[in-house]
Parts: sequence; C-alpha cells; structure tokens
Amino acid sequence: MGIDDLVIQFLAGLTRAGLLFIVAAGLSLVFGAMRVINLAHGSMFMVGAFVASSVVAVAGGEYGLLPALAVSAVAAAALGLAIEVGVLRRLYGREHLLQLLATFAIVLIVSDLVRLIWGEENLSVTRPAALAGSVDVLGSPFPSYNLFIIGLALAVGGCLWLLINRTGLGRDIRAAIVDPQMLGGVGVNVTRLFSGVFVLGSGLAGMAGAVAAGSGAVGLGMDMDILIQAFAVTIIGGLGSIPGALVGAGIIGLLDAFGILFVPRLALSLIFLAMAIVLAVRPSGLFGLPERA
Amino acid sequence: MPGANRLRWLGWVALLAVAVPAPLVLGELQLFTASRIVIFGLWALSLNLLLGQTGLVSFAHAAFFGIGAYAVGLVWLHLGWSAVIGVPFSLAAGGTIAFLMGLVALRAVHLYFSMLTLAISQLLFVLAFTAYDFTLGDNGIHGIELPPFLADTSQVYWFVVAVAGFGVLALGIVWRSPFGAALQAIRDNRLRASFIGLHVRRYELAAFTVAGMFAALAGSLFAIVNRSAYPGLLDWTQGAVPIFIILLGGMFRFYGPLVGAIAYVLLEEVVTRETLYSNLVLGAIFLAIVLIAPTGITGIVERVVGRLARRPSPGLTSLPEPLAETLAGEFEPSTRDVET
Repeated sequence: MGIDDLVIQFLAGLTRAGLLFIVAAGLSLVFGAMRVINLAHGSMFMVGAFVASSVVAVAGGEYGLLPALAVSAVAAAALGLAIEVGVLRRLYGREHLLQLLATFAIVLIVSDLVRLIWGEENLSVTRPAALAGSVDVLGSPFPSYNLFIIGLALAVGGCLWLLINRTGLGRDIRAAIVDPQMLGGVGVNVTRLFSGVFVLGSGLAGMAGAVAAGSGAVGLGMDMDILIQAFAVTIIGGLGSIPGALVGAGIIGLLDAFGILFVPRLALSLIFLAMAIVLAVRPSGLFGLPERA
Repeated sequence: MPGANRLRWLGWVALLAVAVPAPLVLGELQLFTASRIVIFGLWALSLNLLLGQTGLVSFAHAAFFGIGAYAVGLVWLHLGWSAVIGVPFSLAAGGTIAFLMGLVALRAVHLYFSMLTLAISQLLFVLAFTAYDFTLGDNGIHGIELPPFLADTSQVYWFVVAVAGFGVLALGIVWRSPFGAALQAIRDNRLRASFIGLHVRRYELAAFTVAGMFAALAGSLFAIVNRSAYPGLLDWTQGAVPIFIILLGGMFRFYGPLVGAIAYVLLEEVVTRETLYSNLVLGAIFLAIVLIAPTGITGIVERVVGRLARRPSPGLTSLPEPLAETLAGEFEPSTRDVET
C-alpha cells in the first residue's frame, strides 16, 4: 500500500464526511434550537433521494441531477413544514418523549408512502455528464463527483456560518440554542423561528439525499442508515453546534474509510465505539453545551 | 380508594383466569399470538420501570431483549445444555450488561443519556452481527432444541406464562416498593429528589439494571417460543415496539403496558393481514395517540370511569395513586408541594 492509496482513501473519507456534514448540520440545528430529536430526519434524506431519481428520469441524465438538488431540497422542506406545523407544534412544552415518538411514527408513515409511490426496487441515478468522469490524483483515478460532494459540503458549511454568525435570523437561532424562553420574552416570534429552523434542516437533508442518489443506489432503508450515522456525527460534535457537526463528520467519514482499509472486521463498530468513547469522556460532545436542566 | 383497589384485584384475577386455561380453547396459531402478548407485555413492563417510573428514555431496550434470546441460544449451542437453563441465565446476563452499560451511560443526563444508550446498544448489535465464531453472525441461531417437557405448543405457552408471571410479580413488587417510590420522585424532579437525600445516579443505575434483567428474561422466552436468536432482535429500531406498547396502554399505571401489549399484538396482526402498508397504518395510529390521547388506553378508560364517578380525571402529569400514597407516608415534608 503506497502513499497514493492512503491519499485516495483519505479523499474517500472526506467525501463521506461531506455528505454526513450536510445531513448532520440540519439535525444538529433542529436539536439545538428546538430540543427535538428528529428521528424523521433520515426520512427527509430518503425522500430527497427518491425525488431526485424522478427528476433525473424526467429531465434526463445529462444534467438532471443538478436541478434535482434544488427540487429535492424544496420537496423535503415542504414535508418538513407540514410535519412541524401539523405535528410538532402541538407538542412543544410537552414531554420530549412524545416529540420523539411522534417523529418515529412519521418515520413509519413516510417509509410506507415512499414504498407506495416509488415501489420496492432499488433505483440508480445517472450522474451529470460533467461530473461522471474522474480526475487524476497522484496517478490514481478519483471520481470527480466525489470532489463535487466535498466542494458542496464546504459551500453549505460556509453559507451556514454566514447565516448563523452574520444575519439577524442567525442571531435568533443562536439565542434559541441558549434559551428559547428568554428569546420569546424579548419579543421574537419563536414559533415562526422554529418552523424556519425545521424547514431549513429538512431542506438540507433532502438536498443531501439527492447528492447521495448520485453516488449509490436509492432504496428503502436508507432513512435509518443515514439517521444513525448522522446521530453519531452530531453527538460526537455536540448537539446544536455546526463546527461540531463539521469535526464530527470528519471523524466519522475518515474512521469509515480507514476502518475498512485496516480493520475490516471492526469497521462497522468503529462509529459506535467512537460515539461511546467521546460521550463517556465528554458527556455533551466535543463542542456541545451541557444539557439544559 | 377501596373501590379502585378491589377493581384492580378483580382485573388481575380475570387476567389469570383468561391466560392460564387459554390452550384448552385456542388453536396453535392463536396460542402463538397469546405467547407474543405475554412476552411483549413483560418486555414493555420492564421498560416502563425506566420510562414511566424513572423518566429515563433508553434506546437500548431491544439490546437486552436480544441478549436474553442469545442467552438461550448460546447456552444451547456452545455448552450443549438444555435451552431452558438459558432462561434464568438471561437474568444474570441482562443484569450484568445493563449494570456495565448504566455505569457509562448514566454519566450523561436526559437526551445525551439516550444517545449513549443508542451508541452502546448498536455496538452490541454489531458484535452479535459480526462475531461469527461465537454467535454465528448474521445467520443467527436457529432450530434451538427444547427439552421433552416443552414438547407441544400448550406446554411452551404455560412455561412462558409461568416465567412471565414471575417477572410481572417481581416488577410489581419493585413498582410499589419504597425503591419504586424513590424512582418516581426522581422522575418528577431530579433536583428535588437529590435534595431529600436520594443518591439519584445510584437509584437510576439500579433501575436500569433491573429493567435490563427483565427485558432479557422476556427475550429468553422469545427464543424459547421461536427457537431462534438473531442479531436483528438487538437493533435499536426494535426498541420502538415496547415504547409503543407502553404508549398504547398508558405509562402511569403498572398494568398499563400489559393492556398495551394485548392491544398492540392484536392490532399488528389485523393490520399486517389486511394491508400491505402496515407501517403506514400503524404509524398513523401511533401519531394519533401521541397527539390526541397520550395517556393511552388506561388513561381514556379512567377518564370515562372518573367522569361517571364524578371525580377529577388523572392527566398525563398527575401523580399515580400508589406514588401519592407512598410519598405521603415516606417523604411527606419535602414533597407535599410537588408541582407537576
């Protein structure tokens, strides 16, 4: 195994990390501001992937996936809005457990709706022609679509940073992460803010689903697969922290890539091992605030 | 309330009177359903020790169910002992692993605790999945042989009812004990419970251990009835089953999860028989319960009965009677003004 293999594997890890970051950032935002563990976050991701497959089927494979990114994001965001207004809003101020259970009921409902609409077969989505090839990295070919994913994740991270640190909306979100009651007390419409955050998180998950559709099979069950990994990322990074989600995604993505290379038998358990170790040492994650009483 | 007490005793007697002679009337398939009700009921009761009584949300409860099933499977596979030995062994295995998991997971509180239980239980799931030499990996252990006294379905059913009955009794004693009252005090207000001198984490660890023991016991019965143990049992999404059972039945009564188990298993059978899209129907039903009737079936029944008897109905956050009674005796000065 030469240095070029390690570099390729490193880039593969970063690709995984990029996708995980886009999903986990939304999950983390929703948790941080609303204190809702959204089990349906993976469902938005899956809906995004299936919507992307339909958009590509209609628009053609040559460039279809690029508009699909936007369409999937909007579709998942709309679903998120319906869930927030129709279900979650009735449960704020009630027990966390009820919110958790409601989102799990939505997982069940959405998984069957997707089966009803798109069937049980795995689908595959053609990559846009411009990104279908590969580039040369130290003499080895590396898919240019993967570089696109890394770039997109960085762009999303940059936009989120600007949104949260440089806008009024971001200021409100940061305040909601610390104390939503106080935020309501100073006259901010917290209900509308929560809807906004939930729609943003859902949209990110939907877009990530479209991205994932281009790099692997689209199938039922991808909702729970991504959810558990996104959980690992947000928990390692600290619930509610965007930089935490970035670092967590890097850790999980690279662990995944190098785990398969060096300890294939243990690769599956590395994620959970990392999650347990980080939480046992730092119970609120690397960048997280301690849990509100 | 003597009336309510008498009603409760009548309920238990009626339950036994239905459960014990069931094999005399039911066919083989229906008996299988009845076994599922009993096993899921015990599983949900053990979880409710955490959820309803202590206020701990654990994602690891499927793992303990699976551990119990593997206790039966592994004892039979590797030691060549009778699978039945695995049933008492499951209590020890579940208790030990729950104690160790609790030591780590209870370092965190609230949602972070839940997430730690998720991580560790998935670790166990992956272990069961990948340790081919020990657990036969993702194939699982199938065709577990039962001893001669469990030769036909009725005998298996009676065995399940006897063991589960012991489990229900034990959990009932815990529920109404001073220890159980302390757990309820922790649920209602962790801080205040520590102020009156309870070592909160030690109590939570004890509750987590006991819950793990009896979840494993339920899992061992599952392995006896189905003659198999497989990794899917440990997957965290399976943990939704006992949670929904508790939600259906109502979490603030001891017997709530048993009522829920009857409702859940029958509902699941009807829905999977009648439609291809069972998740859609079940999910919609659960969502409706969360939104409209979070106190479950027992809550609805009590509200109706309470309205008939013209007394205030118990809401979601009101104290269950046994707790109020015990608290009044044990910790009166500091909890008289409990706000809920």
